[in-house]
Amino acid sequence: MDVAIPLFTAFDLPFMARALLVLIVLSLVAGLVGVLVNLRGLEFISDGLTHAVFPGVAIGFVWGGRDGLFVGAVVAALIAAVVLTVIVKRAVTSDAAIAIVFTAMFSVGIIVVSRETNYVGQLDALLFGRLLTVSPAEVNQTVVVCLLALIIVGFTLKEQVFRAFDLEGSRAAGYRPLVLDILLNVAIALVVVAASSAVGNLLVLAVLIVPGAVARLVTNRLWLLFPVAAGFAILAAWVGLALGYAASVNGGVDLPSGATVVLVLVAGYVVALLMRLALDRIGGPRRARGSAHEVTH
Amino acid sequence: MIENTSGETPPANAAAALRVSAASFAYDAEPALTGIDFTVLPGQAVALIGPNGSGKSTLLKGILGLITRTAGTVEVLGQWPAPAGYIGYVPQTDQLDPHFPVSLEQVVMMGRYRSLGWWRMPAKADRRAVAEALETVGLGNRAKTRFGELSGGQQQRGLLARAVASAPRLLLLDEPFNGLDQVNRDALIDTVKRLKQQGVAVLVSTHDLDLARAVCESVLLLNGAQVAFGPRDTVLTLANVQQAFGSVGVEMDEHTIVVPGHGGH
Repeated sequence: MDVAIPLFTAFDLPFMARALLVLIVLSLVAGLVGVLVNLRGLEFISDGLTHAVFPGVAIGFVWGGRDGLFVGAVVAALIAAVVLTVIVKRAVTSDAAIAIVFTAMFSVGIIVVSRETNYVGQLDALLFGRLLTVSPAEVNQTVVVCLLALIIVGFTLKEQVFRAFDLEGSRAAGYRPLVLDILLNVAIALVVVAASSAVGNLLVLAVLIVPGAVARLVTNRLWLLFPVAAGFAILAAWVGLALGYAASVNGGVDLPSGATVVLVLVAGYVVALLMRLALDRIGGPRRARGSAHEVTH
Repeated sequence: MIENTSGETPPANAAAALRVSAASFAYDAEPALTGIDFTVLPGQAVALIGPNGSGKSTLLKGILGLITRTAGTVEVLGQWPAPAGYIGYVPQTDQLDPHFPVSLEQVVMMGRYRSLGWWRMPAKADRRAVAEALETVGLGNRAKTRFGELSGGQQQRGLLARAVASAPRLLLLDEPFNGLDQVNRDALIDTVKRLKQQGVAVLVSTHDLDLARAVCESVLLLNGAQVAFGPRDTVLTLANVQQAFGSVGVEMDEHTIVVPGHGGH
């Protein structure tokens, strides 16, 4: 059996092609936004945003079914992004504030969903996504929301990088960090919304964070980070979907596609990390290493 | 070199590049600095001298409009708020992440962003301004180096180049000599002198009397409030310095101010 065949044949099926399309669009935007998340060290805030968007997704779903989901989620995302930006600016210890506000929001979402009769199934879909049953209409919605995020970040990319590198310097140059922060957080929230129906609320974070972290491991050249992150995310989406398909069809193992894609992302991160460590060992640690979680010296 | 300067030294009675009158500044509600009154003329430099916590950075941030002014006025070339691009600011380098994936050239380009505007990418003129600014500070051969790999002194000169690339009318430097070796000090002094010749006004906070003597006509002594302002040699008396540093044990030689228990800078 040739393992490479599903990489191409799997996407002859319309539902697989739709899943791939959604993930490619998502990967492009998440790559771009994810690099900024990495440069700013916003991983925890992004996590908070995924929680905060959840009640919006839930209310939208209960109110209007699958079509309502996007409207509710977009509204919640915009509110959450603005509230979050202000909280972080005001709070002395922003981590506690984020954790409290956003776990509360998440609980509200779960309570809303639990009012539905088919509670467990719905919750499952919202948390873990249903990549293979994405409808053509949902593909359009994903593209529109991603495009919005792309425009927001694209128009302010160099200013966002300036702000990430040197907050005081960018303020002195006349930029208002609050405006830039709200724009970036809105873009993150929109990515969360766009990804909700595909990979689900819990796995969005991987799509946002892993590609940016991989790019940091691969290159130190600023403008290469963005295409590397997006390219890596697309590759992982493609391989992950094909792998899940092959396992179900050929191996009889039912792999949830969203989670498979996430695991491929993480596997790619591990490979990049090991290669980086090996290269640093050979050539000396010339380059700074990627992830924002690493200890700086 | 960089546009917008005439290259002539302005007459002494020219409009002040910076005029601060009876100004006080505060962080939130905490008053941080009071009674500030001084001017900087185009082509001239003023040294800000005072102990740690005396309000040197506060004053620079107040002029930039980053903290609240609770009294008085600040005018940059007769205007407030200062028009975009009028002020170049050189912060201390220790606040920057040495692992940030950005090259020296890209850092200097940030000085051009404001005049570029949103969305637009740098054009040929911007790249030329960046290259010239790097030559000015003597780092023309390090353009592609990652910023964090440069020495502290080179990073400081890189931030100066960023300010130079924005073609400012007023340059604010925050402790630019901290941790610099002689080579970098000379390069920095040289750059500041050249900018002054082009009519740029300079305000520099420093512990270092060498820097004050090399480039500054006037000195502003601070200690939470203004202690003295005037021509360098008139103001830098032992009595004034002791008042600013709040200690009679303070000594002063040609190069530095020695505070007992703190060592020299």
